[in-house]
Amino acid sequence: MLSDSNIMRIIDAAMSKNADFADVFIEERKASNVGMLNGKVIKAGSSFDLGVGIRLMAGTNVVYVYSNDMDPDGLIKMALDAADALKGNSLCSVKELESMCHSSATDIKIDPMSVKKTDNVEFLRKASEYALNYDPRITQAVASYVTGKRTVRIVNSDGLNKEETAQRIRISIEAVATKCNEKQTGRVAPGTMRGYEFINEYPVIDKTRECCETALRMIDAGYAPSGKMPVVLGNGFGGVIFHEACGHALESSSVGIGSSCFTGMLGKQIASPVVSARDDARIIGEWGSYLTDDEGHESSDLLLIENGILKNYLIDKLGSRRMNMPSTGCGRKQDYSYAPVSRMSNTYIDAGKDAPKDIIADTEYGLYCSQMGGGSVDTATGEFNFAANEAYMIRNGKLAEPVRGATLIGKGAEVLMNIDRVGNDLELSAGMCGASSGNVPVTVGQPTIRVSSILVGGREDGEE
Amino acid sequence: MDLRLAEEFMRRLIDKSPEYGFEEAEASFSSGISMSINVLNKEIQSYERSAEQGISFKGKKNGQMAAASTTEFTDEALEFLLSNASDDCDVKDDEDEDFIYCDPEHKELKLSQITDAFDKNTYARFAEIGLKLEKDIFALSDTIKGVDYLSISCDRSYNLKINSKGLYAYKDSDFVSLFAEGRAEKDGVVKTGGHYWYGNDIDKFDEDKFLEVFSKKLLSKFGATSVPSGKYDIILGNEAVISFISTFMSNFSSYAMQKGISLLAGKEGEKIASDIFTLREDPMYEKALIKVPFDSEGVLTYPKSLIENGIFKTALYNLKTANKAGIKSTGNGFKGIGYANLIVEPGDTSFDGLCEKVGNGLFITDLSGLHAGVNAISGDFSLLCEGYLIKDGKVDRPVEQITVSDNFYEVLKKIDCIGNDVIAEPDGAGELFAPSLMIKNISIAGEK
Repeated sequence: MLSDSNIMRIIDAAMSKNADFADVFIEERKASNVGMLNGKVIKAGSSFDLGVGIRLMAGTNVVYVYSNDMDPDGLIKMALDAADALKGNSLCSVKELESMCHSSATDIKIDPMSVKKTDNVEFLRKASEYALNYDPRITQAVASYVTGKRTVRIVNSDGLNKEETAQRIRISIEAVATKCNEKQTGRVAPGTMRGYEFINEYPVIDKTRECCETALRMIDAGYAPSGKMPVVLGNGFGGVIFHEACGHALESSSVGIGSSCFTGMLGKQIASPVVSARDDARIIGEWGSYLTDDEGHESSDLLLIENGILKNYLIDKLGSRRMNMPSTGCGRKQDYSYAPVSRMSNTYIDAGKDAPKDIIADTEYGLYCSQMGGGSVDTATGEFNFAANEAYMIRNGKLAEPVRGATLIGKGAEVLMNIDRVGNDLELSAGMCGASSGNVPVTVGQPTIRVSSILVGGREDGEE
Repeated sequence: MDLRLAEEFMRRLIDKSPEYGFEEAEASFSSGISMSINVLNKEIQSYERSAEQGISFKGKKNGQMAAASTTEFTDEALEFLLSNASDDCDVKDDEDEDFIYCDPEHKELKLSQITDAFDKNTYARFAEIGLKLEKDIFALSDTIKGVDYLSISCDRSYNLKINSKGLYAYKDSDFVSLFAEGRAEKDGVVKTGGHYWYGNDIDKFDEDKFLEVFSKKLLSKFGATSVPSGKYDIILGNEAVISFISTFMSNFSSYAMQKGISLLAGKEGEKIASDIFTLREDPMYEKALIKVPFDSEGVLTYPKSLIENGIFKTALYNLKTANKAGIKSTGNGFKGIGYANLIVEPGDTSFDGLCEKVGNGLFITDLSGLHAGVNAISGDFSLLCEGYLIKDGKVDRPVEQITVSDNFYEVLKKIDCIGNDVIAEPDGAGELFAPSLMIKNISIAGEK
């Protein structure tokens, strides 16, 4: 690791010309993984990486340089080159380094790094064997375990000196059912910032059974219908739609340059009055949490929407300069090779009052999506698309036959206004979010909700 | 770090590996430099430079193979690589054998594709091109309200692999690319559109040609509406064909077949596509920017048909899956199994000719959500798309908010005519070349 004096030499070099601000981001990552297919360990690997990113700012102009060669003289030269490339005319002084402040949103009793890989293997084997013996139509079981520890230090020209540690575990269990030429998958992939006790407490048999049951139900399912209809979205990962269709458009990376469909909408009604939503980075032990962001700012529990009114944007340092508003501590990045941008953490629609069973009972005809897959969105137009991994028709207020191949499409702003029921069963679910600063861990979440009308793209003609 | 020092470290790693129980060992070094600029509001809004390097080790112990990687070149890093890979070998119980390989007749493999043109990639040059392009995009139309993303980047990479069997494989390459995305607004309706250029010489970037396509992609979407749900004959535009084929390529992997997750297993020699459809891999394809004479396992590549006139000819094999199948590797050992320079054989019908053939139908230009809305195994897909109506054999009004739903294997059989309008995009270890395709009788979901 770099010494304090070398870090200060890098900052001095970065600030030697036109920069009004500079920060140094130093990262150390350790990771280890095991992968199992049908009860055999077919993959095992480890990595250890160090890297440094140096950012210079003059107003809203940014120069970012990075390297994983930790030689201080090389880094100082990079900082000087970066200073030469930055336009501006400010000569700001570098403030004295504060004493280092360490933070972490982890909640660890048993350090995952201290657990033997043979124990990881035994855990995966339980899932694998259960799945393969569950039903002859389950032809394949895939399971994996990944753990990583990331320590980052951020020092800047204002004297800020912070360190944050994150340690995460993610597992994935997948059961594949086969019938003639048809294959369908049931999958769970929880992630946590808790320690190995999460694995010890994980109801692996119950969860594997759910995967098997999903795969078996979906393999017998017919195609989803096409057309506009009411859609009930199950709790947990159903929140991915809010993340994509609304969350991304609230990030300062698009709001700050005026390209988001929610630019200038603060204080205005952007969602139905039954919708309140938050981005809370400070839930200890949660997959998408952090206490200090990758710019050294304290993270926040941010109210995004209250009773349909837009309350806050997600703002990073560059966004705060563009928008003339304070940072909300959401500057994040995959690793040192990316400049930070505004990102989400644990983003969810808050619980409402309705019992999920009443929401379905009150729906005459529509689609119930119990498990959502991924999707994407254009933040300028708000157009999104999502795949439903597990879905059922609702007929006469009751869940009817399972259907597959349903894709939901629409415009975020319209869907938000069309949410007419919100359940009381809020649940969070782990995911990875990709954007211009790479892939970062996030959780999405929601209770069961109903959207009065979404276009479902299936293969059969709808009934209404 | 220069190559000579890296090689010294790699030799030490391999020489020391028997002490950790390895019977065979391989070390790979990669390093690269990159530079990029982003233009926003008549300024170079950001500028990035990087220098990175990394080393990975893989070793075979008691018949099991494991890998470890690091960015450090210290004694501690050496110990980390060897001890972790050794421990990882101990937990593995893979029944299929992995290989460390060296073709005795081709021990030394070299391919240098770096050129002096890389020296033209300066901040000043990129800034000049980027700022001019931004200005010229705004000049295209008053409706353009933003060029929200405009980036020019370049990188140069070096790779060296050596192993205990005597392999010495070296390659290097250059890459430069430009991406621009614009936002236009008319009567309160916002549309976005972007275009991408890549090559290895920034002098070959032709702004006029770029703007012609960019303008079409951004400005021709106004007035788009949905279409009634139903079955349509469509033209899948060349860009959409590339993303479509790429998404389902995992089914051609022999690994997927051996593990029972590809429906193509055991179908070699059978008809799986329309007679007119041919898909081949030509790693040294003359039109390809990056030529690939050997794969990541040190096996020489060669041209082959995957589908020839509708007949499925061969799956893609690496050393491990070939051994299991009792055949030779097809030179497709790229990070597991991959491919380099795929070609959808073009036909001789022009794009206008395809439209005439369709008569009344849809021209699909873009498919969204390919990472989510497909079941790569069953081939089922349901995807948000946009494009244009084809009316009386001509491209008519734009279309939006529709989904196209069908099955990959069914689509292959429904290809009715192949265009001659080939374009290429980076894909796999090389590029994918494809023309537009006419496909009959596809499910479209839109308005009732």
